[in-house]
Amino acid sequence: MTIPLSWVLALSAVVFGIGVIGLLTRRNILILLMSLELILNAANINLVAFSNHLHSMRGNVIVVFTIAVAAAEAAVGLAILLALFRNRRTVNLDEVREMKG
Amino acid sequence: MPETHLPTQYLPVLLLLALAAGFVVINLVMGSLVRPKRPSAEKLTPYESGIPPIGQAQRRFNVRFYLVSMLFVLFDIETVFLYPWAVLLKKLGMFGFVEMAVFIMILLVGYGYAWKSGALNWD
Amino acid sequence: MNLDQAFFLYFAAMIVVFSIVTITRKNPVYAVMALLVVFFHVAGLYVLLNAEFIAALQVVVYAGAILVLYLFVLMLLSVPREALGAAAHRRWPVYALVGGATTFEIALLLARSKFAPRPGPYPPDVVREMGSTQAIGTVLFTEFLYPFEVISLVLLVAMIGAIVLTKKWTPAQGGEEGR
Repeated sequence: MTIPLSWVLALSAVVFGIGVIGLLTRRNILILLMSLELILNAANINLVAFSNHLHSMRGNVIVVFTIAVAAAEAAVGLAILLALFRNRRTVNLDEVREMKG
Repeated sequence: MPETHLPTQYLPVLLLLALAAGFVVINLVMGSLVRPKRPSAEKLTPYESGIPPIGQAQRRFNVRFYLVSMLFVLFDIETVFLYPWAVLLKKLGMFGFVEMAVFIMILLVGYGYAWKSGALNWD
Repeated sequence: MNLDQAFFLYFAAMIVVFSIVTITRKNPVYAVMALLVVFFHVAGLYVLLNAEFIAALQVVVYAGAILVLYLFVLMLLSVPREALGAAAHRRWPVYALVGGATTFEIALLLARSKFAPRPGPYPPDVVREMGSTQAIGTVLFTEFLYPFEVISLVLLVAMIGAIVLTKKWTPAQGGEEGR
């Protein structure tokens, strides 16, 4: 094993954390969706690393499913963003507060 | 078991990347060193086939572009599943064929809906 | 340090740096471009981890299709530039600190732990012998038969949902010059 598994896991934790920070700090919905893609990629890196480490193919297969779901998520999420923009003329999350109690 | 992770057959890819990057960098640097630099207002306007530019370069696109690219993404995913299936078809036999037929049938429903709802029309 | 580890460190450094660039840009177009760099380097990482098919998928689907979708949406929104770069949250340093601390802790914990290998039926030699695509397909079409069929339903729902959400877009509300 030439690349230690823990290195890859640490990398994916860092990418996940950057995605979470992006989700928490940014208010532009487009950038929020991009942060979500970063988080999904971090999870995929983990799955591929474990798949390689445990000499199993299941992790890789789950990554194929994750990518398919990510594409569906992007398609619907961006459609919601377009519908929101059509009605409210904004992409700023803080200006969308109809549901606030 | 000596387990090297670096697949050696990717060396040509790496070489190609280095060559491509080197080509771009060397040409840009050489160009900037050799060429004369005398900018004027005429030269700096965006090129629109010779006529003066009208309006902003950034303008809104039709929403149909989104629908087309969304459909492309989803059918792209379908194609991705076809690759390993095509590699394995002989081994899977009839079972694999039926499996993929069901998969494609379900997606064909979506295609039919897109067709009927006019998402593919470019009126 | 051997060659593999050098490549890994290069990919890791590029992924981290451009992830940070992605979430800090004001103009979303630059964020999309930085995300493209991240995706390509993740694909390189997958090649290092013996998952060539996933690497190809990463380039084809993420870099080739999903990011194009993002760019199209950016061009569809007719917000002025300043509004597009919607500023960060008011208390962003607090959130960044909390997220950063948690991340640092997890990364430290993972980097110091040891994971005992439990070899399964697909060691790297076997995968390389039969090809990553075939190895994935063998598991995908037998063991994961049911999830595979469910994915087609997920794609169907996404397709119908996106069409319904964007269909009633009249020219006055956002078409190209009222066409």
